Amino acid sequence: MISLQRVTKVYRNGVTALEDVSVEIDKGEFVFVVGPSGSGKSTMIRLLLKQEEASRGDVFVAGKHLSKITSFKVPHLRRNIGTVFQDYKLLQDKTAFENVSFALEVIGKPKHVIDQRVPEILEYVGLGDKLNAYPDELSGGEQQRVSIARACVNRPLVLLADEPTGNLDPNTSVDIMRLLDKVNRIGTTILMATHDQAIVDAMRKRVIELDKGKVVRDQSRGVYS
Amino acid sequence: MAPRVEYFFRETASGLRRNGVVAFAAMSTAFIALFLFGLSLLIAREFNLVTRAITGNVEVQVYLSDPVNLGTVAHLTDKLQSVQGVASVEYWNKDRTCKQFHILFAGQPVFTENVDCRNLPTSLRLNLSEVTNFRLITATLGCSLIVEPDGDQHQECTEPGIRSVADYQKLLDRLDSLTRVLSLGVFGIAVIMLVSAIGLVANTLRMGMFARRKEIGIMRLVGATNWRIRVPFLIEGMVEALLGAASAIAGLFLVKVFVVDRLRGTAPWLPLIKNTDVVAVMPWILLAAALVAIVAGTIGMRRFLDV
Repeated sequence: MISLQRVTKVYRNGVTALEDVSVEIDKGEFVFVVGPSGSGKSTMIRLLLKQEEASRGDVFVAGKHLSKITSFKVPHLRRNIGTVFQDYKLLQDKTAFENVSFALEVIGKPKHVIDQRVPEILEYVGLGDKLNAYPDELSGGEQQRVSIARACVNRPLVLLADEPTGNLDPNTSVDIMRLLDKVNRIGTTILMATHDQAIVDAMRKRVIELDKGKVVRDQSRGVYS
Repeated sequence: MAPRVEYFFRETASGLRRNGVVAFAAMSTAFIALFLFGLSLLIAREFNLVTRAITGNVEVQVYLSDPVNLGTVAHLTDKLQSVQGVASVEYWNKDRTCKQFHILFAGQPVFTENVDCRNLPTSLRLNLSEVTNFRLITATLGCSLIVEPDGDQHQECTEPGIRSVADYQKLLDRLDSLTRVLSLGVFGIAVIMLVSAIGLVANTLRMGMFARRKEIGIMRLVGATNWRIRVPFLIEGMVEALLGAASAIAGLFLVKVFVVDRLRGTAPWLPLIKNTDVVAVMPWILLAAALVAIVAGTIGMRRFLDV
C-alpha cells in the first residue's frame, strides 16, 4: 500500500531530511514511525502526500508512483489518503458536521451522499450527539475525533497521522488510539508518526524508528525504544 | 450540478463580504477605468460622426464678393468645371442661400431675425469626388493664405470676384488632431486606470486567499482540485470587474443624457452620439472588464497555485 524505495530527500537549503530510506507497508497494516524531532517523520508524511518530491528514489502510495503522476492528478491521489494532525486543522467557523461535510463538498460529492455519510461517520467516532457543536465548544479529544471523522469520511485506503495525540492528555490519547485501531480494523492502512512512548509500547504494533533521516530499526510488534 | 453552482456562489459571496472595503476599492477603480475607457470610445465615435458629416457630401464653397457680376460667375464656373476631380459646380444666389440659412437655423430666432439675408454671400458650390482635391481648387483660383504680422490669417485670390474659399482640409486636420488628443488622452488614462484596477482586484483576491489559507490548506489535503479552489476567487474577481463595468455603463448613459443631450438643444447642426452609440461600446467595456478579471486572477493566484 505504501512503498518507499531508496528514498532520499534533500531540501533546497541543503538539509538532508531522509537518506536512502526503504520501507514497505502492506494493506491493512498499522505502523508507528518514531524518532526525535528532525529525524524525518514529517518529511516522510509530506512525501506520501506529494507535498514534497523525493530527491532520489521512488515513492508508491495506493498503487501510484508519485514521481510519475502529474500535479493535475495529485488531488485524486489525496482523496485516497486521510490525514490527521496534532493541531486538528478544523475550521473554527464551522460546526463538527460542516467541518466533515466540507471535505466531501470540495471534492464535489452530491448532497445526498453528504447527508448520509457525515452523521454516520460522526456517530462512528463517538460524536453522534455533537453534530452542531463548534470546535471551541469541544474538548481536544473531541476535536481530534472530528478531524479523524473528516479524514475517514471519504473512505480512504491510507490514513496518515502526524502526532495525533501530541496535544492530548494520556487518557484522551488512549481513547484516540482506540478509535484509530477501530479504523485500522476495517482495513485502513495507518501510518502514525509519534513521540508518545506509552502509546507505542501499549499498542505493540510495527515500529519504524528514524534517526537523522535513516531507518535505524524496523520491528514488528515493537516498542518505542 | 446544482449544489456545485450554489457552492461557488456561496463562497464568492462570503469572500466579498469578508473583504468588503478592499473589494469596494477594487470595484471603484474598475468603474473609473472602464468609464474612462468607454468615454474614450464615445469621443472617438463622436468625432467620427462630425468628420463623416463634413466629408459625407464633399462640397467646397467658393464665396463671391458683392456685388456679383454674372459674367464672373460664368467664367469661374467654366474654369472650376475643368479642374480634375470636380463633379459639379452650382451657383447659389442670395435667395437660395437665404432659404438654406432659414432651414439651418429654424429653431433659433436669434439668428433668423437678426441676420439680413442681403448680407449673406453668394457662392459657387462644388461637389468633389474626393476631399483631397481641395488643393487643386485653391491653386486654380490662385488663392493663398496670407499670414499678417499680428498672426491673423486671411485668404487672397488672384481671380477676381472671390471673397474666400472655405477650407475644409484645415478643419478636418484640426478635428483629426483634436480627436487624437482627446480620445487617445482619455484612452491613455483609461489604460493606466485599468492596470491599477487589475492590481487592486488581484490584491483583493490575494487577501481573500490569505484570509482563507487554512481552508485552502484543508481543501488541498482532502483532494480538492485546483479549479475547485480557484473558481470562487475567480468569480469574486469577475463580480468586482463586472460591477465596475455595470456602473461604468450607467455612468456613460448619464453623461449621454445630462451632457450630450443638453448640447443637442443648443447646437442642432452638430451630429451627436445617440443611445445606440453607448450600447455599441458596451461589449468593449464588458470585454475590458473580463480582461481585468482574468489578468487579475492569473496574477493574484499565481503564488497559491503550487499543489
